[in-house]
Amino acid sequence: MTLTVLKSIKVLNPKTYFNDVSDVVICNDKIFTICKDFKTEVSQQDRQINIYDCNGLTMSPGLIDMRVNIGKTENLTAIQKIACENGITSMVILPNQTPKLNNPSIIDHIKRQSENPNLTKVNIYGAATKDDHGLEMSEIGLMSEMGAIGFTNGNKSIKNSLVMRRLMSYAAMINRPIIQHAEDEDLSGLNKASTTLINGEMNEGEISTRLGLIGIPSCAEVIIVERDIRLAKLTGASYHVAHVSTRDSINVIREAKKIGLKVTCDTAPPYFALNETSLLSYNTAFKLSPPLRNEDDRLAVIEGIQDGTIDAIASDHRARSNDTKAQPFSAASVGASGIETLFLMTLELVHKKIIDLNKAISLLTINPANVLNMKRPSLEKDELADFIIFDENIPNIINQNNLKTSPTPFDRRKIKGKILGTFINGQVAHINQILKDKIIK
Amino acid sequence: MNELKKNKNKGFFSSPVKLSSNHLLAIEGMGKSEIQKLIERADYFANLDRHTNTKVLQGYVVLNVFFENSTRTRVSFELAARRLGAEVINISLTNSSIKKGESLLDTASTLNAMKPDLLIVRHPHSGAPLLFADYLNCSIINAGDGRHEHPTQALLDALTIKRRLGYLEGLKISICGDIANSRVARSNIHLLTTMGAEVRCVAPSTLMPSNLENLGVKCFSNMKMGIRDVDVVMLLRLQNERMTGTENPSEREYFKFFGLDEAKLALANPNAVIMHPGPMNRGVEIASALADDTNRSLIKTQVEMGVAVRMSIIEALNHTKNKMMKNSK
Repeated sequence: MTLTVLKSIKVLNPKTYFNDVSDVVICNDKIFTICKDFKTEVSQQDRQINIYDCNGLTMSPGLIDMRVNIGKTENLTAIQKIACENGITSMVILPNQTPKLNNPSIIDHIKRQSENPNLTKVNIYGAATKDDHGLEMSEIGLMSEMGAIGFTNGNKSIKNSLVMRRLMSYAAMINRPIIQHAEDEDLSGLNKASTTLINGEMNEGEISTRLGLIGIPSCAEVIIVERDIRLAKLTGASYHVAHVSTRDSINVIREAKKIGLKVTCDTAPPYFALNETSLLSYNTAFKLSPPLRNEDDRLAVIEGIQDGTIDAIASDHRARSNDTKAQPFSAASVGASGIETLFLMTLELVHKKIIDLNKAISLLTINPANVLNMKRPSLEKDELADFIIFDENIPNIINQNNLKTSPTPFDRRKIKGKILGTFINGQVAHINQILKDKIIK
Repeated sequence: MNELKKNKNKGFFSSPVKLSSNHLLAIEGMGKSEIQKLIERADYFANLDRHTNTKVLQGYVVLNVFFENSTRTRVSFELAARRLGAEVINISLTNSSIKKGESLLDTASTLNAMKPDLLIVRHPHSGAPLLFADYLNCSIINAGDGRHEHPTQALLDALTIKRRLGYLEGLKISICGDIANSRVARSNIHLLTTMGAEVRCVAPSTLMPSNLENLGVKCFSNMKMGIRDVDVVMLLRLQNERMTGTENPSEREYFKFFGLDEAKLALANPNAVIMHPGPMNRGVEIASALADDTNRSLIKTQVEMGVAVRMSIIEALNHTKNKMMKNSK
């Protein structure tokens, strides 16, 4: 029997709106109690007790990252470790890897392979369609029995309206959400079968004109969102838009929520922290999908976060090797790392006084859990002890050389805050030296 | 003593130009006086007797690296470098290393190991010369990158106009054709607006890039309105693959609305001149007879000026590097 005591820690629990300095006691894998001034002498001698002096530190439920791409050369266990070090206790991986996660046995295999009581928990989105063309529905019922928590075609839009209608209808029947990467592939030039000659590389506008790169019009996003919302209304499905990036789509989602449709969305740090002007030096770390938009869109993302139109923030982690990024912009791969900066960049919104800390933690914990019908994490007595300890005010700097995944679009950004410890199932899964030094017994 | 040095003090602008950078990657960002000096130096080269000894760059090694097919630009650069006495090596990479799968950076570092003084690079991807500039130690000239820029073309166009019309400031200039996909258009827009000309862009709306007016030009989709009273009509090549499909219905429809013929030209200033960066599609962008009208068409002069402009640039980059080295000592 092990006992962990966190003395005078600020406890932030979005589920119960609890926000107070308390002592927290963890016994085995559960929270034993949260109280003022816990007396350690109560406990018996034979117990193993770790006491941390957490004065000035904050604790919250572990983060849920609802969008992680595992790249061809990435190893799932390694990503679980990195996620864990960055406060993510639960993540959802996308099906567009090799091989595609499009059948129940592979979902089962990944579930078993990733099971490790001391590492970030892995949840899976199953592929919505069996094929790359998005025409044949996968066995989404069987996959959800194996634990798939939602269905999506990853970084490809589900294009065919009839397929989308049937998917939504079927997914509603088994109570699973459909997650869409909203992008009209003909407009953005990503549809390889198209006869048009474009191959969109960045947001369309003055910057794309100056750089001579092919633009993707921002309406490519809202066109799909609008269609899908009509289908969600028709079918009663839960529909989730991943990484929203434009003012128009946020407006449309806001209206859909107002009339009570089960429509949700998330965004990722690049879309609230950066805009298309970052591309002026052709830096391929900023080559993302959806592309970085203009300043007005960025501000709309922030407004959407503030008024709750945007439910969650996900890392949209899509790490790429330097070999595929150190290329001319047009030839470089799409995507950037994210799991190592998700928490820090969300915290930046707090320091910039855009949202409060409670809201920031909600966006990274109970909100994604609500969207995906996962168990809502909470710091209460008898709840599972998956939580993080952080210092939100410690000066910090994001530096690519200190990161394990690349490329980060936030290199050399001065920020505040640091994850000091991650506990999974009541056990230390990651501990920083600063927190180690606070062990008093 | 070589004649170039003797001539040095004859004219005000007959000395090498010092640039603000080791490279010529784009016109965007270049200052007016820098552009002016390069053009004036090129003008001086253009006036020299072809047999004048201008070989001031003995032992200077130039690599002409073309990732895209080109005849006129490559030859023009080669001639310019040779007339300055430099050693030129032409490397065509359209079908060697690229097809073998070598990455651009590996190619760059291989070339760098050969220690050239100057790399002239043309690449189908916008921004590729910037990548070379980041990883190589030598000077880089952008000889055209994707849809981004073709700075030497804009400089030679400016020299051509200046020699014919005498000045650039206040001139009305129409750039007509496939603006969206043209690096020549972008470089010319930046250069001509910097020099104070009034620039208009004429293109079918499918070939007009978005927010182009933010670059300081007026946009027209009606050619008759776009070239009214202009002093210069600059035509752009329409790529074969864009002549039919979803950007243009057909060649004949393009010629009807956007091809330059006598009737449309009559709307321009009576002394207006015609330019084209080549190669031309006769009967698509321009009526064949107009292309050959030496009173109106400056197309051949443009080619001639190309060598002079490139000499002034190569000389300037060498001069700039020497000055920088001197200063760092």
